[in-house]
Amino acid sequence: MSERESFPYTGLAELRDPVTAALHRVVDPEMSLDIVELGLVYGVEAQARAVKVRITMTSAACPVTELIVDEATSELARALGPGVEVGVEVVWEPPWDPGRMSGRARDALGWE
Amino acid sequence: MSPGLRAARTALLLLGAASLAAGVSGGLARVGFPLAVPASAAFHGALMTGGFLGTVISLERAIALGSPLALAAPLASGLAALCLLFGISPLAQWLLVAAPLLLAAASVAIARRQPQAHTVLLVVASGAWVVGNALFVHGAPVDACAPWWFAFLVLTIAAERLEMTRLMKRRAVAKPLFYVVAAALLAGAALATFRPAPGAVVFGIALAAMALWLATFDIARRTVRSAGLARYAAVSLLAGYAWLALGGLAWAATPFAASAPRDVAMHALGLGFVFSMIFAHAPIIVPVVVRVIVRFTRAFYVPLVLLHASLVLRLGPGLLDADARRWGALLNAAAIALFVATLLASMARRETPAPSPAEDAPRYG
Repeated sequence: MSERESFPYTGLAELRDPVTAALHRVVDPEMSLDIVELGLVYGVEAQARAVKVRITMTSAACPVTELIVDEATSELARALGPGVEVGVEVVWEPPWDPGRMSGRARDALGWE
Repeated sequence: MSPGLRAARTALLLLGAASLAAGVSGGLARVGFPLAVPASAAFHGALMTGGFLGTVISLERAIALGSPLALAAPLASGLAALCLLFGISPLAQWLLVAAPLLLAAASVAIARRQPQAHTVLLVVASGAWVVGNALFVHGAPVDACAPWWFAFLVLTIAAERLEMTRLMKRRAVAKPLFYVVAAALLAGAALATFRPAPGAVVFGIALAAMALWLATFDIARRTVRSAGLARYAAVSLLAGYAWLALGGLAWAATPFAASAPRDVAMHALGLGFVFSMIFAHAPIIVPVVVRVIVRFTRAFYVPLVLLHASLVLRLGPGLLDADARRWGALLNAAAIALFVATLLASMARRETPAPSPAEDAPRYG
């Protein structure tokens, strides 16, 4: 599986690239790594008028969750245009683990 | 988010800031500046640890939980500090006990959502604040409350850092070592309540051990090689760990000397360690709380350098010379004021279109 496809994706194939690119633009401010690389994107369901994204966070105690959700929502809305309803949901199951990180993230954090 | 909720959060942040202003003015009065703020001077420690830090930590936790009900914790904490400015009233006492219990409740809710070591530790940390405030309300001397208040702050920060270390490859020994150090910290605080001298030694050594753990395992050791805000935050954190180590050693020395180690311990921890964490994270967290965008610039390094330089002046030459101590304290306050000014000057309304993070985000490499 390549790094740019490291989350489950269902729905319209033509939206895959803009959605993935938009999610790559959402960066954790302290890590300087994006949410796709960190393995925080659990799934995308893309229909013509509605795109739903499920993401998780490494910590439930972190207030930055709100910022990440906002940024993901606005990046997706910008990428998909006004006709598409964007929903970003935070989920805690299954719990995040470091194995979900991309090769680049693992490399940056000393795993490889 | 509703404008009302945003206004409520902003008001609570300002309530915390009011405690900070009162606490700092009280601190300046203590080192000899002619400020007529007797209550702020008398309750300097309670205003800084509970009124300011307790309020902002509770606010942060409430936002993480996402429940407006949890805003009761920062409200109680901020109001408790305001009440203290008029002396220890029954209302102040009630609020001082309620605030940490409300924070503990919010922390339990988060630990249930994500049962992990760091979320459980946040519950334990808020428990230390409960004990510290209960002792304070009960009339215990500040020196009996202080280990609990610092246990609350240090364990809260350590829990957040422990969580971040999960992203890094760490040695198998890291986690058990962390538990040993955290347990020693609590044991030291508990012992200090009944046997101040040996308690101070255990507590101080545990603080220094925590500094060593953080300096060894924290992800800041890697992010310091990145750029922009991530690098700035890492520099602040690593500098803070040096103060945590010094503060711990000074704390362990308090039973063996007069007042000097106590001042070093309190301010190496409270200013050097805790304010480094605040300087590191406020540019990340404040935008979330008040819904603005903070554009990071290198200007943030100026208050950071001033904080550390002024603390060196205060806790170095200031130990022997009252003028150096006063100047150090004044410049400590100036560093905080300059940081707040830098933060305010870097803010932009969240509604304004920001450049894409892909263009300005700091990256490794």
